[in-house]
Amino acid sequence: MKYKILKVFILFFFLTTKSFGLVSVDITRGNLDPLPLAVSNFYLDENLTDNIKKLQLEVKIPELIENNLSRSGLFFALEKKSFIQKPEVAHNRPRFEDWSFIKAQVLVTGKVSLEKDGRVKVEFKLWDIVSATELSALAFYTASDNWRRVSHIISDKIYERLTGEKGYFDSRIIYVSETGPKVDRKKRLAVMDQDGYGIKYLTLGNELVLTPRFSPTSQNVTYMSYFKNLPRVYLLNIETGIQDLVGDFPGMTFAPRFSSDGKKIIMSFAQEGNSDIYTMDIKTRVVERLTDHPSIDTSPSYSPDGSYITFNSDRSGFQQIYTMKSDGANVKRISFGEGLYGTPVWSPRGDLIAFTKLYKNKFYIGVMRSDGSGERLLTENYYQEAPSWAPNGRVLIFYRETASDSGGRGGGAKLWSIDLTGYNERLIQTPTDASDPSWSGLLSEKQKN
Amino acid sequence: MQKSLKISFIAHFLILVLSSLALPFLVGKVQVPVLISVDLVQIGDRTNLPYAPKVTDGEKTDKKIKDKVVTNQAPPKIIPKEKPDAVPLPENIQKIKELLEKRQNPVKVEDLTKQTSEFEKKEIFDPNKISALIDKSKKDNAEINNKPNIEATQSQQKNIVASKLTITQEDAIKAQIFKCWNIPIGLPYNENLTVRVKVKLNKDGSLISSEILDQTRMNAAGQTYYKILAESALRAVKLCNPLKVPSTDYEKWKEMQLNFDAKEMLKG
Amino acid sequence: MLLNNLSKVILVLIVTLFLGACATKQQATTATATATATATTAPTDDAYTGTETVKYLADGISDRIFFATNKSDLTSAATATLAKQSTYLKANPTLNVVLEGHADERGTREYNLALGERRATAAKNYLISNGVAANRIKVISYGKEKPANPASNVLAWSQNRRTVTVKTN
Repeated sequence: MKYKILKVFILFFFLTTKSFGLVSVDITRGNLDPLPLAVSNFYLDENLTDNIKKLQLEVKIPELIENNLSRSGLFFALEKKSFIQKPEVAHNRPRFEDWSFIKAQVLVTGKVSLEKDGRVKVEFKLWDIVSATELSALAFYTASDNWRRVSHIISDKIYERLTGEKGYFDSRIIYVSETGPKVDRKKRLAVMDQDGYGIKYLTLGNELVLTPRFSPTSQNVTYMSYFKNLPRVYLLNIETGIQDLVGDFPGMTFAPRFSSDGKKIIMSFAQEGNSDIYTMDIKTRVVERLTDHPSIDTSPSYSPDGSYITFNSDRSGFQQIYTMKSDGANVKRISFGEGLYGTPVWSPRGDLIAFTKLYKNKFYIGVMRSDGSGERLLTENYYQEAPSWAPNGRVLIFYRETASDSGGRGGGAKLWSIDLTGYNERLIQTPTDASDPSWSGLLSEKQKN
Repeated sequence: MQKSLKISFIAHFLILVLSSLALPFLVGKVQVPVLISVDLVQIGDRTNLPYAPKVTDGEKTDKKIKDKVVTNQAPPKIIPKEKPDAVPLPENIQKIKELLEKRQNPVKVEDLTKQTSEFEKKEIFDPNKISALIDKSKKDNAEINNKPNIEATQSQQKNIVASKLTITQEDAIKAQIFKCWNIPIGLPYNENLTVRVKVKLNKDGSLISSEILDQTRMNAAGQTYYKILAESALRAVKLCNPLKVPSTDYEKWKEMQLNFDAKEMLKG
Repeated sequence: MLLNNLSKVILVLIVTLFLGACATKQQATTATATATATATTAPTDDAYTGTETVKYLADGISDRIFFATNKSDLTSAATATLAKQSTYLKANPTLNVVLEGHADERGTREYNLALGERRATAAKNYLISNGVAANRIKVISYGKEKPANPASNVLAWSQNRRTVTVKTN
């Protein structure tokens, strides 16, 4: 009976297409070039005597948007010199031919007005030049000093409208700033905007600090410090500056990371030559032991839904990646390629685990599915490790070290980012050497919490 | 210690013996995969040479265009003022008139606009690297066979051969759109997204209309990726306007359904 | 046919069983290889044997021992040094020490911290087994953070895979 109905359907389908006679052509290829995008200067709708402020609002905002979008690798920003229309005219309704003449496919325009309460209103419009339509328009009210933040938020909105995924520009990165000779390195915690601006140092450098990690939901940071020569995990609120020891362990605690809801810290505790994985609930301070194995278990990272943990263990004899349930059950090895695997980090999207791989004296940053399949190496170098995901799970930040010469000179560490295609690799400029980067969540989403 | 060494030695030896016995059996079971599959393709009875220019030619025209862009863009301030269809503010009109009068050779203005249109056409007419596509046509055909909605095409092949484009005709159209389509590279490769666009064309290949066949999906909640792919498909069709079309068989191609699928590209 | 298949399966099972036995055996030895370094371990021993970077606790008593890559097993040279250290420590009963465990720069930071702790603990357990009181010995790991030789070459790395005995009073 069912088959009959199906047959009728198929017959009907054939008949209709036959009567249509519509020629069908499959388009399975295209170019993978970044989308040509024009970001017009914004314009102030009234005169402002403060020239610096005027420049910030009219020129710097669009410049920042342009930088963000082109650094993503998904967009190609066209030279402003080639723009034909004035910002105010374009913002009302661009003459699309003028923009398609310079091969722009999308256009960003904007307008800034001064409000009576001293704030500014920043408005932007996103245009599809080829289809001659407006794709989106939004306005934000803010203090004019906040123009960077607004630029990042607008960048996120544009990114989201054009890719279908959330952006990652309104976010920060915490890292370890490094100075001094290799044998006596001075390390300080530093935090900056995702594009490298607004660096703030959080520690003085009196003691060794390592592996800071941002909470995905707040302005909390967890890191490891050798304060009083006792290597322990600490919790720090970067806005209040309040600092706390995590747990009361009789030995070294290290490799801390937040759970995705920001409520727990997961870390390793080393005792008598054996490192195992523990969690501590930040509110209740209750400590739980998750692994109990004579091998080294470290670098734990929660899955975004909190039900699984991936970690690094040498229980097979060598460093490999494992997963287990969040209660420590079902330990399963997932890395089986040649070489050593370390620092697994679960993507905020949940589908992938990023890792560091050491193979034939080279270091790789790669990703694999959470069952270990589909391993893809994104970048190879002399030394690089510790990937951290952008909040949208499309970009990874990590640090790369260069070799020093036989006199110990010339070695250094810098932050790099790479996207999942493996093609868009970028240096993130920092005034000092830098290592152990960790990406925050989206700041605008944190405020909602 | 010695004892355990001995045991280990014996055990290893046993493993060697056993594996040498057992493994060949296993290997013997493995089937050799079939390597080649041959597809029969319908080939047009005439090759339309204009559709298949040499790659080098394409590159040359590309270069020319680039040069032109540079020269065209050198005086960017002048262009909007001189364009008659600009939307000048009332006070500017006078200025523009003055400007035009001041110019001793208004021919130059015409020149500029002429170049513009020429440039646009060339850009669109440039079906680059078609020769490279001929190899891929087989592959494409193989892919086609796997897709469910292509059954229609196959039935068409049997029932209404008249409305089928020849491979050369189809490839020529494909090649043009491949060039015009900027795939949104942020899209996930693992989602099944195919956007069907219906285009209506004039005899000269210019676009009368283009529409997304699954319009409801375009604005449905949770279909953001589909929407973004659809928007890019519409842009591709428009960037390719006018299409370079066969000189005959207008009835065949005056309406076409283009199936945009970025999966293969995003995977690779 | 079926019988034939079955026999193959059984053969493979036996092989895997033997292999399994082999694996657990190895694991057991590494787990207990704290104080008793056996001749069966360290087939790829690249532990440093020279004296460049070495300092001395007292005349002829070297302050450090070296390890092979990714290993925390004590080499025969390491046990010889530790034996001297324990004699010295027993002769100076008021002296306390901290054992600093280190790794080379060719590993991930977090794993190296754990590895440094494991190396320092290996040395500590040896000292204790030789009669030094446990409460006189502290352990700290610096992972790859404090190299003795800052160069990026095989020699430097072997000099950096070490445990250093440091007097605390």
